[in-house]
Amino acid sequence: MNADFRIDRRAVIKGIAGASLALPVLDVMGSEIAEQTPKRFCAVYTANGMSLPKKENGIDEWSWFPRSKEEDRPQAKNKSQREIVFGESTNPLDPFKKQVSFLGGLHHENGLKADPHVCSDMWLTGAPLHNPKPGTYNTVSLDQVVAQHTKQHCRQPSLVLSIDAGTGFLSRTGTISYSLEGKPIPAENHPRQIFDRLFREDKTSLEGKRKKLQRRIKLVDAVLENARAFNRRLGQSDRQKMDQYLTSLNEVESRLIASEKWIEIPLKKQDHSHLDLSVTNESEPASYYQNMFDLIALAFDADITRSVSFMLNREDGMGISDTFPLKLGLSRTHHNLSHAADKAGQLEFAKYDKFLSEQLCYFFKRLNEYQDKTGSVLDNSIVLYGSGASTTHQPRNLPTLVAGGASMGLKHGTYWKNDDSRMSNLHLSILRSMGIGIKSFSDSTGTIADSVFSKS
Amino acid sequence: MMIENVFSTRVTSLKSNLFPGLLLFSFFVELQPAPAASQEDQAAIKSTEIQVQFEKQIKPVIKSLCISCHNAEDAESGVSLEHLDGTLADRHVFLWEEIREQIADRAMPPEDEKQPTSEQRKLLVGWIEKAIVAAKSKPQTKNGAVRRLTVSQYRNTLNSLLGLKEDFTGLLPPDAISKDGFLNEQMSMQLSPLLVETYFEIAEKALDRCIVNEKSKPTIQTLRMELGKSINPEPCSDRLILGANSRLLANEDFIVTEPVPRKPFEFTHRRIQTKHRFIEGYRGNATVRGWREFDSIYHSVFACVRGTPGYPVGLPNESAPDGLLLRPAIPNPGLFGVSGTYGPNANFKISLRELPSNGNFRVKVTAAKYNDGLLLDRHAKPQPEMSATAFALPDGKSTRARIQKSGLYQVDIYASAKDSKKKDLDKKANPKGLFVTLQLGGRVFSGKLNQPAFLVVRLKSGELPITVEASPSARADKVVITPLKNRSDKNGDDSKKRFLQMESRSPRLGVHVGFRRDCGSTLAPVGLLKSVLHNELREFVFEDAINNFPSPDVEKNNVNYLAGIREIAVRSEYTDGRDMPRLLVKSVEFEGPYYECWPPKSHTNIFIESKNQKDRSTYAREIIKSFASRAFRRPVTTRELNSLHLIWSGSFKSSNDFHGSIKDALLVVLTSPQFLFQIENSESSKPEPLDSFELASKLSYFLWNSSPDDRLMKLASSSKLRSQIDSETNRMINDPKFRDFADSFASQWLDLDKLGVVETDRSRFSRLTREVKNSLRQEPVELVQHLIRNNMPLKNLVQSDFIMTNEIVASYYGLGDKTESGFEFIPIRHGSDRLGGVLTHAGILASLSDGRESNPIKRGAWLARKIVAEPPDDPPPNVPQLPEDDGTKRTLRERLELHRNQKGCVKCHEGIDPWGLPLEEFDAGGLLKASKVASSSLLPDQTNVNNTNELKAYLAEKRIDQVAFSFLKHLATYASGRTLSYNEIEFLKREGLKFKKDNYPMKELVQFVIKSPIFMDK
Repeated sequence: MNADFRIDRRAVIKGIAGASLALPVLDVMGSEIAEQTPKRFCAVYTANGMSLPKKENGIDEWSWFPRSKEEDRPQAKNKSQREIVFGESTNPLDPFKKQVSFLGGLHHENGLKADPHVCSDMWLTGAPLHNPKPGTYNTVSLDQVVAQHTKQHCRQPSLVLSIDAGTGFLSRTGTISYSLEGKPIPAENHPRQIFDRLFREDKTSLEGKRKKLQRRIKLVDAVLENARAFNRRLGQSDRQKMDQYLTSLNEVESRLIASEKWIEIPLKKQDHSHLDLSVTNESEPASYYQNMFDLIALAFDADITRSVSFMLNREDGMGISDTFPLKLGLSRTHHNLSHAADKAGQLEFAKYDKFLSEQLCYFFKRLNEYQDKTGSVLDNSIVLYGSGASTTHQPRNLPTLVAGGASMGLKHGTYWKNDDSRMSNLHLSILRSMGIGIKSFSDSTGTIADSVFSKS
Repeated sequence: MMIENVFSTRVTSLKSNLFPGLLLFSFFVELQPAPAASQEDQAAIKSTEIQVQFEKQIKPVIKSLCISCHNAEDAESGVSLEHLDGTLADRHVFLWEEIREQIADRAMPPEDEKQPTSEQRKLLVGWIEKAIVAAKSKPQTKNGAVRRLTVSQYRNTLNSLLGLKEDFTGLLPPDAISKDGFLNEQMSMQLSPLLVETYFEIAEKALDRCIVNEKSKPTIQTLRMELGKSINPEPCSDRLILGANSRLLANEDFIVTEPVPRKPFEFTHRRIQTKHRFIEGYRGNATVRGWREFDSIYHSVFACVRGTPGYPVGLPNESAPDGLLLRPAIPNPGLFGVSGTYGPNANFKISLRELPSNGNFRVKVTAAKYNDGLLLDRHAKPQPEMSATAFALPDGKSTRARIQKSGLYQVDIYASAKDSKKKDLDKKANPKGLFVTLQLGGRVFSGKLNQPAFLVVRLKSGELPITVEASPSARADKVVITPLKNRSDKNGDDSKKRFLQMESRSPRLGVHVGFRRDCGSTLAPVGLLKSVLHNELREFVFEDAINNFPSPDVEKNNVNYLAGIREIAVRSEYTDGRDMPRLLVKSVEFEGPYYECWPPKSHTNIFIESKNQKDRSTYAREIIKSFASRAFRRPVTTRELNSLHLIWSGSFKSSNDFHGSIKDALLVVLTSPQFLFQIENSESSKPEPLDSFELASKLSYFLWNSSPDDRLMKLASSSKLRSQIDSETNRMINDPKFRDFADSFASQWLDLDKLGVVETDRSRFSRLTREVKNSLRQEPVELVQHLIRNNMPLKNLVQSDFIMTNEIVASYYGLGDKTESGFEFIPIRHGSDRLGGVLTHAGILASLSDGRESNPIKRGAWLARKIVAEPPDDPPPNVPQLPEDDGTKRTLRERLELHRNQKGCVKCHEGIDPWGLPLEEFDAGGLLKASKVASSSLLPDQTNVNNTNELKAYLAEKRIDQVAFSFLKHLATYASGRTLSYNEIEFLKREGLKFKKDNYPMKELVQFVIKSPIFMDK
């Protein structure tokens, strides 16, 4: 069936607004779910940039960007695409040589104009935060565009994760995901809560589950109806917050109705024994990150969601992650290290990059272990890893790594570099590779042609 | 016209349904439209003229002269003029004023740019002045307010509505912080599907906690641990170990029982599981494997004294015949960082395998202030020995003494090595000194004996049995007990004075609950700590909800001996290490879930008494009416009641479950906007007075951060609130709940949470532990509360001869000897030339640093924003960072100057740095720097100040109006939950001055804001 003719379930719900309940099972939507191999996206963000040591410190091998073999062979034909030679801080990724690519020279056009601290706010959005449209906060993030186009296939539109729960605030954001309206989406950070929400199977019977869900739908519907009635009776009061509330309620209702179909489909049987749900962000950093990555991998494997964002740490020394380097035995906090200009400091900053590479390696390993009908979960997922600053406060040459997505036409093993490329073009390339046929994303001017992405 | 009429009638009738009290008011407005309209018309005409002139004459000039730099993309100096138009929207008025000034002063355009003709200058200035006047006279639209409760407001509201102690808000995403730093700003509040979903989750959970099956019997767990030296005649015969580094009380020093509680209702007494089978356990530090069976309560309940070993003086805890003695629990240095989880020194806890999974619990501690002695330090001198005072210990252990007169005595102990090679004593026994335990009658004193002088103690006249236990390699030869003279010793020995000071103090008892982790402790305090004033045993009760405490969440049938251990800790709380009598703990009892009656109050709050209980439908209506009216903080309307009742009947019809269907209806109440929002309903774009219920809520959320109490609601329904506003606000300010205001307002205004985020360099500021930070964070809160409650002059905010302090803060400032208030903040005269006022609050100064070095920019920006309300603009794009250290060894001050002198930086930094430079006298720990630093500064108004004190004096005298304005502006912003309009700001500036003659009394300022149209109109 042509994608354009697929029935948008939400449209159906909106049409009968409030009358609700006994919705006919829409077969059209259910049948294809099982057949298609999922296409997934995961964005992983690290704040404060990566280590790109100064020449005079003599530790070039600790630069985050890889060296390339062609540097030794200047006559190489295609200069923009070169084979990776891992540096010390990315070396842990060596086993995935054939599944990752580095991209250099990227930047957000608006990042050059903005206060450097908003770089995490705009990493996935590219929004003009220095000169926003009146009344707006940010613009939609890449993962939410993906969610918009994949949510009908899975239980949760997206999973928004971060080291600290909530949203933080503008320029010190605690989330990298922004809704269609550009509002920050509060992130979750607690492994147990995430697990309980996503994986804890209701022990009651199918009938019991359905009843429970229908009761909830009924109640949400009742609240919605009351709230609408109440809203009508509000005189000339400022309605902005009421509107937001009603929209949110609507969304909750349609999510619930959408989840009705999932009741009949049991959650995929998975082994959860490797999880340690007592871990929190106050535990050992590695075990926290690994448990979070485990949860993402499990959610992908069970096709609970196809869009995930995960903010590993926050800009400007915000939040608990700033202390992680200390916990790992380094001498300064993450933000302080990012500002270091001395050799020892820059080396330590790079060592922290290496630690992060190790966590990423763990994630890739997990994704590779799970198998879809065709290919591994990593082959069917595009993972974007990077920072909104190249090294601290530098908005150009954003450290960027793309992994996975072989089944979506991604070609890996190279260090692609183009000094005047927009992040938004990368974002659009990701969307296109996933078969999401939108014209543009943010301030994109096109896709990144002739690169890791073969679909344009 | 017809349509309008129909509409307004409909609105009116609807309104009469909703708010009967407002009916009269709407008529009033409708009957008197004429004068208001003509004024508005005039304003409209004027504003059109101004706009036309803008388009024709002003815009082209600005475009040709300004926009090339001040466009949206470049925004030179952070200023863009591209978006300005002739309407002078409220948010642009300040910018226009600034432009007027720049042009009139010929500061802009810069010299090297194209200059306007003098006619053009005149034209611009003239137009701006005219336009500002017009903007000010524009009628202010007011469209009511709909704003979500903040997380803490929601928590307080839900808990007081349901009568629950449990905090359900952990699931909620934290509130966003507005530009002004506030959490309750309506525009920055987020509402997301996740949030709404969470509201449902919470409502469901909370109602499940409240509603019980009255016919079922509750299950209650109890536990009692009795403590004392060798009190257990049948101690557990196993050697117990609870993990690495664990220290447990000797098995014979405690007894665990599970007494049957006395209750006025039937219940099931749940006993803790004693049969266990574990495969993983610890022996010392090593993990052991292999299934083992256990069957004893002593493998389910442990008496644990965990924490790092070592205590400065004496033993952290020791068993005495009449109980367990505890010294103050010193926070572990691990508590320095935000991530530290290690427990304190001298911490006693009951570690047990089970606690109830929900409900309230009660811990009852039977304790006394110990009739303690003062252990002498290593410099103390022995008293001259006389035959009447020396008592030999023939068996090396015990003797009896006769005390002639009640009073203070010094006890000296003489000991020798067992192998009689006296000179080797120190090496043989203990290289650092001999460890002795002295018993005087029933009292026990243990400590290191570095010299014969050991103890100062109060003794009664009469026979006194004495035993001395020295460590194994030594024996005690004799004790010398000398009465202390009244006069203090000429040798400068102040031990008597120290003893009397110690004796006058009372230990503070705290109970904490948490769970065991290998890396340390997760304990959180249960309620407030209590002073133990008496030497006789008394009972102290602590209550809370079990789910407010961290739990290990392990599966029931775990295989690890150490998994899932819960902890109930009992401590003598530590402030700053001053001599403190020990806390004697006789017993600790636990009961949970704790019910006073059955069904519990949280249930009968919902299922109210009624004669209609048999008539399901009527009873349901009564229940919903009562609940919804409390939840909505106003009488529920018939319409609302009908639709809620419909939800009940629908649910009841399909389930025939009365409780369940009531729960459904109440769940809708708890997720409705009427509950979740503060609503000020507006009928027109003109200002209208709040109705009395809206006023009650607004007052209560402002001054208590919570929902209105019965009295406020009563006053609201009898429409007396408005007329009694002064006495009511007075009452509210004196209520303990006002602390919630002080805490949220002061911490948001002054940005106090920063202190928790700054990672302090431990090596430089070792005294700035987490506990100290907690107290320092409270200092400004306490000051603001004290000044308002006592209606004191606002000047005290910036300059004051007293500080609000507890022992911890006082000690940090080196004034520990000036107070004996424990954890309580009280005003003390500091007598210091550098303290007083928030500018020198160490917590604030420390939070405005990077944890290593002081930072004049952070401090300056903070002061400009918070104290004088002259906020600097946001930094423009592409600001080059200050070079960390470029090897030139420039001082920060020099680097700052370098940075400032760059084009584009000057303007803002002129408004920031001068405020911060005088504060350079203080280091990143908030205390005076050891060496003198350059601290003079030329303030924006060209006043020169040489140091912090001069800055304080300048603010307290010359600029006090501005400080008052800043306070009023922040207060009014917080009170109204929104950004203030230009006119409101002007109003505060103007009207605030009226308080100048009375030195800006703080309580009156609060009441002024409440009575202003900013607060009262919607």
